[in-house]
Amino acid sequence: MDRPKIPVDLILAKLAADAEAAKHRLERARDIFHGPLATNIGTTPYELVYQEDRVRLKYYRPAAARLKTPLLLVHGLCNRETLLDLQPGRSVVQTLLKAGAEVYLIEWGNPSRRDQFLTLDDHLNGYLDDIVDFIRRRHGVPKVNLMGVCLGGTFAVIYAALHPGKIRNLITTAAPTHFNTPQGLLHLWLQKIDVDRLVNAFGNLPGSLVNAAFLLLNPPRLLLDKYLGFLEHMDNKDFVENFIRMEKWIFDSPDVPGETVRQVIKDLYQENLLVQGKLRLGGRRVDLRRVTMPLLNIYGQYDHLVPPEACEVLAEMVGSRDTENVCLDMGHVGIYVSSRFQKETIPKIAAWLLAREG
Amino acid sequence: MDQENSGQTASEPLLAAWIKWTMDFWDTMAQMGPGLAAAGRSGGQVSRETAGSADPWLAALNLWQAFFSLLTEPGTVAAVFRGIQAPSKIILRMAQAGWGGYFHLHQQWLKSWQGDGSPSGEPGYEHLDQDILKACNEIFEHDFRRLLNLPHLCLTDLPQERVNRATESFNQFQAAMAEFIYLLYLPVKKSLRAMGAEWVNGGEENPPEDFKEYYKRWLKILEGHYMTIFQSAEYIRTLTHTLHALEDFTLAKQELLSEAMATLGLPTRREMDELYREIYLLRKSVKQLARKLDQRESSREEG
Repeated sequence: MDRPKIPVDLILAKLAADAEAAKHRLERARDIFHGPLATNIGTTPYELVYQEDRVRLKYYRPAAARLKTPLLLVHGLCNRETLLDLQPGRSVVQTLLKAGAEVYLIEWGNPSRRDQFLTLDDHLNGYLDDIVDFIRRRHGVPKVNLMGVCLGGTFAVIYAALHPGKIRNLITTAAPTHFNTPQGLLHLWLQKIDVDRLVNAFGNLPGSLVNAAFLLLNPPRLLLDKYLGFLEHMDNKDFVENFIRMEKWIFDSPDVPGETVRQVIKDLYQENLLVQGKLRLGGRRVDLRRVTMPLLNIYGQYDHLVPPEACEVLAEMVGSRDTENVCLDMGHVGIYVSSRFQKETIPKIAAWLLAREG
Repeated sequence: MDQENSGQTASEPLLAAWIKWTMDFWDTMAQMGPGLAAAGRSGGQVSRETAGSADPWLAALNLWQAFFSLLTEPGTVAAVFRGIQAPSKIILRMAQAGWGGYFHLHQQWLKSWQGDGSPSGEPGYEHLDQDILKACNEIFEHDFRRLLNLPHLCLTDLPQERVNRATESFNQFQAAMAEFIYLLYLPVKKSLRAMGAEWVNGGEENPPEDFKEYYKRWLKILEGHYMTIFQSAEYIRTLTHTLHALEDFTLAKQELLSEAMATLGLPTRREMDELYREIYLLRKSVKQLARKLDQRESSREEG
């Protein structure tokens, strides 16, 4: 019986043609790499308006403010906030400015060994609360809008539950709140980590270790296919610039204060205390029913880092009656850098905020 | 073995001759002293005048001669030779064990490669071929690790112990890392095997003519294998084990560095951490007090 054979001769002929094309591509790429490349990230102009220890607050002024309430963006501690202002045309900050929001962005900075004892309480009831008070005073408003990104979203939820009187509207994007799910690899792995040993050995969680963990989530795509894709498009200047910007962001993970890591992994990832209403911060219990302000909960259907199961329960757990879950058919980082998010979701966020100006 | 015996029989009379010559020499030397030799050999009395100055000399000579008399006993000579040969035997045994281990490792490797050639290998991650790494570990555990854990005495005690601990934990980390990387390599091996089977068996109506299509298929298979292995208990166990090894090595390295820093009069990491903790607590107290003051002032203004 004759079985269809693999057309090896045709494949080799195609490979030879590809090799010839690759040679020309390399020649063009050489010119691009030797020329000037615009690879800076976080280029939208801002003012530094507040600083406490290593934590700084950036203020972005819109050309014309349409929203009365300022919007504070909170990023997680594992990555840089520059994800939200990666490049012109792919910047959450810029799109929000165009929509007329006065934007504040927290820069958590570079924790050193002296920051290793800072707890979650210090970050939320300390730095974040001080920043919220500063913005309230600066604008003369009783409340601010709060938008949290990834674990920054979890922080925003906890803060809103502890200080509901200071938050007008709450927006969470790819923010895990239900940690006991087998869907995300990170959730699975962190269940078994001995965080005490980790923190005792390192003090702060090294950024390089965080990076390695992220890369291990999908080695074929993140360590192989991505770079082969780069080789295929390296003669395209825009592509090269965007690629390098993203690489800069990915591999620029700061160290994370040890005591905060200990608490996040133990209380959230391992014990899942937040959704059970058992999390305690600064001597106070974090009760999600105290989140009574409007909530817009956005997450990605194909997010391998924070799966939908970790995000969607929040809307049911909070005390607010005005909640909305938005599930986008995107992955984790894609939520922030995709053109669809810029074109569709951010205008939706702006409209949602405008409708709840009060 | 024969060579060892012949070496022993040739050396024994030589040692006995040397001991006899040495004893005669010291006997002559003792006779040069005031009647010490006779006293020394017969154990007799010496005069009161000479006893005070000659006591240490006499005692040393007695001890020396007694030691040499003991050495001339045939059993002792044999024991001395056994002792002389012992280190070389230990080294030989270590080398034998080492080579044995490497031979075992090599065999495992060959078996593994043979297994690779066959497209119909065992599926699933429950049949992990980690014997190669186990063999590597065994060599370390059985040979080198014991040496690193030998107790140390006197002045070399602490620094040497820390160097050994750092060396040992570094090796443990390397072993754990090798196991972890091997686990990461398994999906590559399995996916290539699956693609190989596809190439050999064919079975598709219109097989693609573009290599990229095969690459995409392989990538998908590879991703699938990674997702399976990443959720397996084996992977999580290896991951945590590797992390623990890294943590142990980091701590051992820090201890060693602290020792060096203390010698140079520099503050150690532990000392700095204690200081940082104190500063942290003080700053926290100051912030709390400042907040309380602000609240008091604002309530006074309102009132």
